[in-house]
This record gives sequence, C-alpha cells and structure tokens, in this order.
Amino acid sequence: MAILSVEGVTFAYQTEPVVEAVDLRLDPGEFVALVGPNGSGKSTLVRLVLGLLRPQRGVVRLFGQDPADLDDRARLGYVPQRPALAAGLTATVEDIVTAGQLARRGWWRRADREAVDRALEAVGLSDLRRERVASLSGGQQQRTFIARALAGEPELLVLDEPIAGVDAEAQRRFRESLVHLVERGAAVLLVSHELGAVAEALDRVVVLKRSVRFDGPPSELAAAGVSLGVHAEDLPLWLEGIR
Amino acid sequence: MPLPLPWPFEREFMQLALLAGVLVGLSAPLIGTFVVQRRMSLLGDGIGHLAFTGVAVGLLLEVWPVWSALLVAVAGALGIERLRAQGRASGDLALALFFYGGIAGGVVISGKAGALDANLFAYLFGSILTVTRGELLAVAVLSGAVIAAVAIGGRLLFAVVVDEEWARVAGLPVGVLNGVLAVLTATAVVAAMRVVGILLIAALMVLPVASAQVLARSQRGTLWWASGIGVGSAVVGLVAARQWDLAPGGTIVLVALVVFLVVSQLDARRRLGVVARAVRAVRRGPVDAPDPVLAGTIHADHRHTHEPDPHAHEVHR
Ligand SMILES: Nc1ncnc2c1ncn2[C@@H]1O[C@H](COP(=O)(O)OP(=O)(O)OP(=O)(O)O)[C@@H](O)[C@H]1O
Ligand SMILES: [Mg+2]
Repeated sequence: MAILSVEGVTFAYQTEPVVEAVDLRLDPGEFVALVGPNGSGKSTLVRLVLGLLRPQRGVVRLFGQDPADLDDRARLGYVPQRPALAAGLTATVEDIVTAGQLARRGWWRRADREAVDRALEAVGLSDLRRERVASLSGGQQQRTFIARALAGEPELLVLDEPIAGVDAEAQRRFRESLVHLVERGAAVLLVSHELGAVAEALDRVVVLKRSVRFDGPPSELAAAGVSLGVHAEDLPLWLEGIR
Repeated sequence: MPLPLPWPFEREFMQLALLAGVLVGLSAPLIGTFVVQRRMSLLGDGIGHLAFTGVAVGLLLEVWPVWSALLVAVAGALGIERLRAQGRASGDLALALFFYGGIAGGVVISGKAGALDANLFAYLFGSILTVTRGELLAVAVLSGAVIAAVAIGGRLLFAVVVDEEWARVAGLPVGVLNGVLAVLTATAVVAAMRVVGILLIAALMVLPVASAQVLARSQRGTLWWASGIGVGSAVVGLVAARQWDLAPGGTIVLVALVVFLVVSQLDARRRLGVVARAVRAVRRGPVDAPDPVLAGTIHADHRHTHEPDPHAHEVHR
C-alpha cells in the first residue's frame, strides 16, 4: 500500500489555482525530492498532504486515510519551512527535540531518551543540546527542527526546505539520517532547492510548477540535460525555463 | 486559631495572606510563562479588565464576586482566543475592544450597584490582608487547578506555544489546548485578583517570567525560576508591607519589578565584563588571569558571554 497518494488535487487560496491536477505517490522506502521555483506551490502541496489544507478537487490519502482524520499521527513527521520562533523563548534544543516524541509516546509517558539522543546525534547537535534555541544560528535552529521530526521516528517524513542555510558537514549527517530512515522502510518527501547533498540517495525527483512537470529518477532528469549535483546552476536554470 | 509562627506571620490574617500570596505567586507566573512565550503578554491585562466587569456584576446581583468574575473572565478569555486563532488579535484593535468594554462595563455596572467604594477597591488594588478563610479556599482551588494543569499538561502547552502548525500535524488537540491556556489564564487572574488587584495582575504574570528568561535556559528552568521569584516577591512584599505599613498588592509587584531590574542588570554587567576582557586581551596580547567571579559566570552560562541574546531585555508586552 502506498504511504502517500495524491490524485488529481487542485487547490486555490483565492480563485487562481496554486496547485492543479497534481498526482503523486510515495511507497515505503522511497526517498523523493520535490523541486520547483519559488511560488510554484510546493509548500501548498505539503500542507495539503499533511491535512492542514483541504483540496478543492481530488483526493489525498495518507496511509490509506484522509490526512485530516489520520488516527496515528505519530506515523507522520514534519519539518516546517522557516518556523517562527518566539523571540523570548527560553527553551533548550533538547526541550524542542523532546517535544517531537509527544505524538508517539503521548504526554503522560516519559520521552524516550534514546530516540532523542539519536535524533540529536543525527543532526550533529549533541554538544549543543543544553543551549537555548533562540541563541543558536539560523542553520542550527533549522537542524533542531529536523531533529524534532526525527525524534518521532516517523514512517513518512515531510521536510519543507530543511537544508537552506545548513552547512556541508550538517548536510552530510542529514543525508545519512534520511537514508537510515528510508532503509528502515520509511518514506521521505523532501522539498529543497539544493539537492546536491542528497542527489545520490534519491529514488525520484518530482518537479512542480503548479502541476507536476516531471516525475522520475534523477537519471532521467540527467538525460534531459539536468544534473542535480555537479552543476549547481543546472536545476535552477532548467526550472526557470519551464513554462 | 492562628498557627504558632514567628513575626510577621504570628497573626491569623497574616497567615491567610501568606498562603494566598504563595499560591498566587506560584500560579500566576506559571501560566504567565506560556502567555509570554506566545507573545500575548497583554492577555493578562485584557482578562483583568474583563474580571472587573465580572466583579461589578457580582456586586450588582449580590453573588460572590469571585464566581461572577471567573465566569466573565473565562468567557472573555475564550473570546479573545477565538480572535487570536483567526489571526485578528495581533491587529490590536479587536483586543483593545475587550479592554475598553471590560473597564467601561465594570464602571457602569458597579455605579448601578452603588458599589463604587472601598469594596470595589479591594478588587481593583488587591487587599490581601483582609482575605477571609472562604476566599483563601477559592484562591487555593483556582491556583491549585492552574498548578496541576501546568504540571500535567505543560509539555503539551509548550509544544503548541512553540509551533502551532507543527503541533497540529503531530495530532495534538491544538484548539482544545489553546482553549485550556485561555481558561487557565482567566483562572489565574481571578485567583490573583484579591492579592495584587485587577490592575496589577498582569505584572505578576509577566515580571517574574521576564526575570526567569534571563536566568534560565530551559523550559523547565524558566517555570521554576518564574514561580520561585513569584513566591519570593509575594513573601517579601508581604513582610515589607507589614513592616512599613504599605499597600501589599503594590509592594509585591514592586518587589518583582526590583528583582527584574537587578537580574537584567546582572546580565548586562556580565556582558560588559566580557567585552572589557576581550578589549584587555586584544591590548595586552595574552589573556590575563581570569577574574574569579567572571570566570564562574562564564562557566555557568557561556551562552550569555559569547552570544548575547538580543531579546533578553525585552519586556514582553
Ligand atoms: N496563505 C496564503 N494565502 C494566499 N496565497 C498564498 C498563501 N500561501 C501561499 N500563497 C501563494 O501561493 C503560491 C504558492 O505558494 P507556495 O508557498 O506553495 O510556494 P513554494 O513553492 O513553497 O515557494 P517557495 O519556494 O518560495 O517556498 C504563491 O503564489 C503564494 O503567493
Ligand atoms: Mg515553500
């Protein structure tokens, strides 16, 4: 059974559709990148997938269920695009990452320390675990939110531009933790403009510009003259060219 | 029968006041921590104004003002939460309407009840020294509810306050939790009403939290520091009020204010110390022997020294 299936989904905030007739499917153990220029509807599609928005046409199924009334939310992990952090928030990295366990363990049980440790290790924040999040750099904060999602040990992980501003070493760790997740049978949907770090690990690339313009393995994209890793300019230029 | 306690708590009214002060000193900053983190520090004020209407209604209908205040405050808090959820409370006008309505309604209704007198002042400015056993029981129940709720559900409230959209995806009952936070805020306001007064409730919810945000790093640390400072301010304020015959509500808040000023000063000194050291180091080359006091603070909290938090001094409104 597909972990995620999107069929003929159309959504408009006002009148003009932002996402139109989109089909997308993720099976267990698949690592898929969703790319597209700014404003092409990626975050909107993500919100539709997560059940935060409802499609005007078409159907979204998460684990075979309507995402809005999915009963086991712990199966779903999410890293939002640029989460707004309250300025005066006094909380450590560990506090935030531990919250990632709430869905899986429930609020009445203690968090699973080991899962939290693994998540911190995976993003390379073990040493900063007792630091205040508000005092960290943008990239370190972003990694905190990635760790929060990893701590829930999800079966579907959806990440909206998680590696913008994350340095090369952290990206390497990040790729490893995603690959690890995928090897255990989870599916990953990664929205990103920079696929260099993960290019080798990807099963498919989906190009979105209101509708799906390409859906296939990176090698097919390469056949179309677009490389993901080597020429950093290739993908953005090609995306620009899509009408 | 008063308990055999030493001065200044040897008399029964002081013992009742002490208990009420400690309970409110605990509960107001506890819930205040979440309110401040959500950047809704005005909420305490807004709900306080609504509680004023509630008190006036109680005086008019001759029911115990604590209950009528609780009713109006809870209803109002849920109303404000609705506006916030629709993204309209930050466009302050909607929130301001609640404030003006609360005060104006309170004045008109208490005028109608012929109660614009000392009885009303006890609620406006607090009157902890005249707290009765019955009122203490109400304060205990209300504060106890707040403390218990934070102890049990604090992790959930924290997750929602940090990132509402994420919490929704994680399947947390975000709407319910926001409602709970609003109701708990109203409850804490009503509990604090007789202690520091409607006009100063928000101060007790915000000032200890502002100090705690300088002193603590973790969520848990913030809750401990905030409630510790809240209780400390209440006790010290009471003693000072007895000793020098001051208005206790205002004194308690002034103590909390002094604590905040001292704490933020310490924080600033700590940073200045580091700047001075850095300058000296640059001038002289090798760093001289570390100042023991400063070295202690550096080890205790090197975040402040290396990366000053630009928001540490913000008084959250
Ligand atoms: N809440 C909203 N209300 C109205 N319009 C919106 C809203 N959110 C996004 N849009 C519009 O929908 C379109 C798609 O936005 P979306 O955020 O999905 O793009 P994106 O592909 O994620 O872009 P980016 O790469 O910049 O993150 C944009 O034109 C945007 O202006
Ligand atoms: Mg986006």
